[in-house]
Amino acid sequence: MPSDPSKLKIVKELNRSDILFSLARLPATNQLFVGSSDFAIHSLDPMTEGKESKQFTGHQSYVAGLTLAGDQLISGAYDGRLGWWDVETQQSIRMIDAHDKWIRGVEISPDDQFISTVSDDMVCRVWNAQTSEMVHELRGHAPQTPTRFPSMLFCSAFSPDGQLLATADKVGHVVIWDVQTGSELATLDAPGMYTWDPKQRIHSIGGIRSLAFTPDSKRIACGGIGQIGNVDHLDALARIEIFDWQTGERTHELAGDTHKGLVERLVFDPEGNWLFATGGDHGGFIKFIDLEKNEIIKQDKAPMHVHDVAINEQHDTIYAAGHGKVIVWELKPDETTG
Amino acid sequence: MKSPQRFLSENASGQAFNRRSFLGGTSLGASAIASNMTILNMLKSPALAEELKRQEKRVILLWLAGGPSQLETWDPKPGRPTGGPFRSIQTCLPGVQISELLPAMSQRLQNTAIIRSLNTKIADHGGGATLMHLGRRDEPNVKYPDLGAVIARELGRANSTVPDYVTFYTATEGRSNALGQAGFLGARYMPMFLTTDSKPENLSRRETISDVDHRDRAELQKLLSERFGRGRANATLASHNEAYSRVRGLMASEELFNIEQEPQAVRDKYGPSLFGQQALVARRLIEAGTPFVKVSRAWWDSHGQNFETHLELVAELDHVMSTLLDDLEERGLLEHTLVITLGEFGRTPSINPSLGRDHFASAWSTSLTGCGIKGGSVYGATDEDGNTVKDGEIGAAELFATIYKALGINPHKDYFVGSRPLPLTDPGTETVAEVLA
Repeated sequence: MPSDPSKLKIVKELNRSDILFSLARLPATNQLFVGSSDFAIHSLDPMTEGKESKQFTGHQSYVAGLTLAGDQLISGAYDGRLGWWDVETQQSIRMIDAHDKWIRGVEISPDDQFISTVSDDMVCRVWNAQTSEMVHELRGHAPQTPTRFPSMLFCSAFSPDGQLLATADKVGHVVIWDVQTGSELATLDAPGMYTWDPKQRIHSIGGIRSLAFTPDSKRIACGGIGQIGNVDHLDALARIEIFDWQTGERTHELAGDTHKGLVERLVFDPEGNWLFATGGDHGGFIKFIDLEKNEIIKQDKAPMHVHDVAINEQHDTIYAAGHGKVIVWELKPDETTG
Repeated sequence: MKSPQRFLSENASGQAFNRRSFLGGTSLGASAIASNMTILNMLKSPALAEELKRQEKRVILLWLAGGPSQLETWDPKPGRPTGGPFRSIQTCLPGVQISELLPAMSQRLQNTAIIRSLNTKIADHGGGATLMHLGRRDEPNVKYPDLGAVIARELGRANSTVPDYVTFYTATEGRSNALGQAGFLGARYMPMFLTTDSKPENLSRRETISDVDHRDRAELQKLLSERFGRGRANATLASHNEAYSRVRGLMASEELFNIEQEPQAVRDKYGPSLFGQQALVARRLIEAGTPFVKVSRAWWDSHGQNFETHLELVAELDHVMSTLLDDLEERGLLEHTLVITLGEFGRTPSINPSLGRDHFASAWSTSLTGCGIKGGSVYGATDEDGNTVKDGEIGAAELFATIYKALGINPHKDYFVGSRPLPLTDPGTETVAEVLA
């Protein structure tokens, strides 16, 4: 039974006192791992009122990236360290100094062979997911913005075929890499995602915060925020741009007219029926887009700024973590809801 | 009896002397004074010697407009729910840690006092900026002078060829909150306010006017003003004329604003940022005798993405401030120059859903470095989450009294407007003795 975004509804909402930046889900279960502002990783099942069963401690700053590789949980944090954990025992398997600055995200390749980490040291590193051996060190992003402030490397994404890796930074620069060789295949730019205010406030905001390849791996979607008038706030419409990465052609430019803030996560339906985007400013949002029709199928407020999501195997349940909450959305057709 | 209109200073023993007639009449710096035996004899007076010593003192205010976060600068709370993602780092002072965003400053605190216990209560930009410029609340019927005007009045020389009070404020946001206010001291103490660049506009004599013509115009203006002023005891008019009388001196100071006069190595140290360049101009002005320079860096109002904003702005502050302090120290100027970092308030310990911090005036920080300050000190403390001051709470009045005291200015002196005495700080205000040398 296909999922139906028009039936989107929240089926669980758990309040928390911390900010959750990252999320990973144990396959075929409701068991979640969330990376927290309290520097720990928490394990919880939102469908059983969020009772925590495990806690993983060892990081020294916000846990910004989480992924599962078999029975190992891999975490990246603003302390620059990358941790491997035994899911069952919660014991640390190893912790390595992976980057000189904040790790902004951790992604895993479709075959679970590699993980990628991006950091404000402006390097993307590809690691063997099992051994932690570094496979590639990818340098394609300028360390400073054009106005000589530190830039930030926010996100990466593997293509569904596992051949490609994309990385994106604060000024809207995107690099497409060959996963096997580590060579640079293409670059793209989405400068509309970055706002530098040279006159009123003399600082910057924005950047590409999320990436996702289309199911055929031919196009790359970039999520962020549009041009901001007042850079004190996330005061612009959430923005998505989609490129044919081989030609550089921008095929879609989606800002909508409703929801402001950062697009923190982009997820394609494997069948290609829709793309969903979620994120927020002081509040949160989720929106489903039909790329063929170039129109929004469904959009709604989220009860919090969403930082990370996981989707189940049937693609009809979305688990989301964010500012002070974990929620579960369902997009099941009526007859299967419950 | 004091002459209210002449703003007499008063020494510790109660002897009144007119400082400006003394210094202004000589129109001299220290070297010229040394050649005058009459003056040298006068220096045997402890009060006058102290007065001259005070004359060498200067202030650079790094005005951090919009309100920087104390948690991402001087008062980190790592590991607490309010602490944010940054670590604290050990400084050169045993047991003292500051944000990791200030690595250069962490090794230069030997001349700095950190105050972590400001509770100034006003958390809107306009009200907060006014308070932190005046050291007190403004009153409907009295316009008080701001810090720069007081320093210009107290430490400036009457016939100085350099401006007494210079303000840089290039960003547009918050600029109207930070305009200079000479108040009852008069327009003579209004700042030279630079908004578009590091150099003053329209300071050069127009090419279409010869130097002789320019002098003649000034004389004509003076003649007409004096004629107009006869029989009119008007402080505003007097202030206006005094400001005009300084025009040619100010014009001669144009090169002070030209950092190309500095060796490239010095310019490189300050870096390419406007904040850095203006800090270098501030040092040039201080060195030339300007008593007060405010270099504004706006805009810190990080309601959204506080941590990324502070990654940009604190990194810049750390570089510019450490470079400035090094430069002042190497030139022997830091002993006589007080460098202040201050904004209108701090930022909330709580982190909002946009990962921002909002306005917060209940428990925040400032720093004082150099002249008159007990370096290597930390005064006051906030609770473990930074929500309240738990030790050594002070307000704007105490901070300003402390600044005046550090500069050798009696914070309890009175000015007079008509016959009304107006104390420099509110009655009963105490200085923070713990941070004074």
